[in-house]
Amino acid sequence: MESTHRTRSRIRGAAMWLLLPRLRAPLIALIITYSVSILGLVLIPGQAPDGGVYYLSFLDAFFVVSYTATTIGFGEIPHPFTAQQKLWMLFVMYSTVIAWLYAIGSVLSVISDPSFRRLRVYQRAVGRIRARKEPFWIVCGYGGAGNQVIRFMDQSGIRSVMIDSDQTRADTAKLSDMTYDLDVLVGDASEPQTLVDAGVQSALCRGVLALTDHNQTNLTIATNTRILAPRVPVHARSESDANTRNLRSFNTEVVIDPYRVAARSLTQLIRKPRAFALYHELVDPDLNQIEILNVPDSGHWIVCAGDRLAETVTEAFLRAEIAFCLVSPEVSPIGDSITWVQGLGTEANTLRQARIAEAVGIVAGTNDDGDNLSILLTARTENERLITVARRNKPTSEPVFRQGNFHYVLREGRILAQEMYARITTPLLHQFIGQLEVMPEALVQRIIEKLNMRLGNQSPELAHFDISLDAKDAPGVLLFLNTARAAKVGDLLLDPGADHLNMPLVCLLLVRINGDVVPFPGEDLLLGENDRLLLWGATGSHHRLHLLIRRADLFESVLSSRRKPAG
Amino acid sequence: MNTQRVWFAFFIVLALTLNFGFFVGEIDNPSHHNLYEFFFALIVSLIATILKIGDRSHLGAVLLATSLVADLQLIVAAVIWAYGSQVTGHVSGSVMASIVSLAGGAMLANVTSVILLIAETIQLKR
Repeated sequence: MESTHRTRSRIRGAAMWLLLPRLRAPLIALIITYSVSILGLVLIPGQAPDGGVYYLSFLDAFFVVSYTATTIGFGEIPHPFTAQQKLWMLFVMYSTVIAWLYAIGSVLSVISDPSFRRLRVYQRAVGRIRARKEPFWIVCGYGGAGNQVIRFMDQSGIRSVMIDSDQTRADTAKLSDMTYDLDVLVGDASEPQTLVDAGVQSALCRGVLALTDHNQTNLTIATNTRILAPRVPVHARSESDANTRNLRSFNTEVVIDPYRVAARSLTQLIRKPRAFALYHELVDPDLNQIEILNVPDSGHWIVCAGDRLAETVTEAFLRAEIAFCLVSPEVSPIGDSITWVQGLGTEANTLRQARIAEAVGIVAGTNDDGDNLSILLTARTENERLITVARRNKPTSEPVFRQGNFHYVLREGRILAQEMYARITTPLLHQFIGQLEVMPEALVQRIIEKLNMRLGNQSPELAHFDISLDAKDAPGVLLFLNTARAAKVGDLLLDPGADHLNMPLVCLLLVRINGDVVPFPGEDLLLGENDRLLLWGATGSHHRLHLLIRRADLFESVLSSRRKPAG
Repeated sequence: MNTQRVWFAFFIVLALTLNFGFFVGEIDNPSHHNLYEFFFALIVSLIATILKIGDRSHLGAVLLATSLVADLQLIVAAVIWAYGSQVTGHVSGSVMASIVSLAGGAMLANVTSVILLIAETIQLKR
């Protein structure tokens, strides 16, 4: 406690201490010129109008020197100066004015010094972070993923603090369009002090996202956080299996490998397109519709990739038994068990070798955006029924990929951001996603159809949210639990308004207090105290639901409306 | 020998000696207290303050604080003196007494400053 207090005060005082020693010389020059000037004026005799000799008092002298030094110039007081006094005044004017200019110039140069200004900006950000009242997350690295996840969090009202070592990226972050002011620290996130300044030890810190481009930096952030603030969860990006194992070895809460997630997404896209579509709608606040891609079962895929994506996709496709042909510039490390064509895939010849005419789809996954576009354009001329999957590397290439009419665009930063966001918003969502991976496609189809039916022909913004049936949030419902008029899941989905129609909502998951998990619970399932529910549907309906569960009178009217048609 | 340390010690000790020189004498007798000595005591005290700025150690902070106390006391004494001599016309015995007692307070701060300086010097192993 003592040591953290000391480092904080050191940092807080630093800007002033940088300023003052550099002003020492001008201040001493100012004091000396003033004192010599004042002393001269006091000692030199003047002449009163009656001819008598008088001496200026220290007060008069200080007054004259002060208005002369600041170039105000009130004139010769108390009587017109003698030649001797005028000579001295000439010295006073030039020396004190120069001393003033020197002092002011020094202050200005120190204040406009870039390092001083950076320090001031940093300190102001640290001050704002310390004054926070709302919970926040620390995001290290404002790359594609950091940028995206901060946006997602901003849209759900989650505050964040951003750390990046690059000044230009920090400037972009500050200028980005956000609902809440984003606090940006320009510094090295792998240094413990930067994390402390970002508020990792604050009780309001909900977690740290290590999203920099370097495995080693992310690892250091994770270890530092583990020691500085053991209760704060760390979500880290990792781009190699060795690094992933290392991070897991000290219980890093979440380790996300974008290449593994990309491979998993591709497998899901091919094998379980409905679960894929539902997953994406849930984890991406920007998506508001469910686009199901129909992938034919027969035929093979062509995967053009060179780096780690080739390895992870090969592994995932082999496990999911998806027939594919790898097009890779270097020899595949996996061996002869897979069909492999050497080349980049940008030439029609290479693609023909990979039997493009019989293929169902192609993944252009090299680490160069130009190559990826070239592969897909060539592939389309060879086989126009192909399902095209493009990998976008640079965020700046986004416009071409958006307009390219590709079936799916793989964005590394976005994938990471989605995965992290799914774990940040509500723990229930992450539980549901785990269920989704093992859920049969037919059930996923029923969830989607049910929501579509309730939405009718509207297409509002879709969102997910959770409620818990406890005394704080749902006093209205608790009254009717364990009574003859037992409340059911379906009752929560009725509009508290006059006509009690179904709201455009479905319940995705119900978690009992004892840990039992019911995915997509039937509407006749009885509710219990302290149940937690994950709901999904049109935004706006959650306000109505919150109102419904809080007010017993509304909930009772809903219950009685349910009874009428039955009786 | 470090020139900067020489000037540092010079001004701190000079601030005390000038202050003492002004302070001695009958407390309410203006002829025992020289105006010019007071002027130099104030100027030297201000310079000593500026020299103490920038030392970020704990001792440096205390030294700076003692100097600021001395400055404050002397500036208040100067204001009283200017008011007494210019506004009311003459420096009476009671006005002089308050000027000298303020200067005495400043001297106490300067003594603390010199003691700290000596303590620091003795700690140096050379």
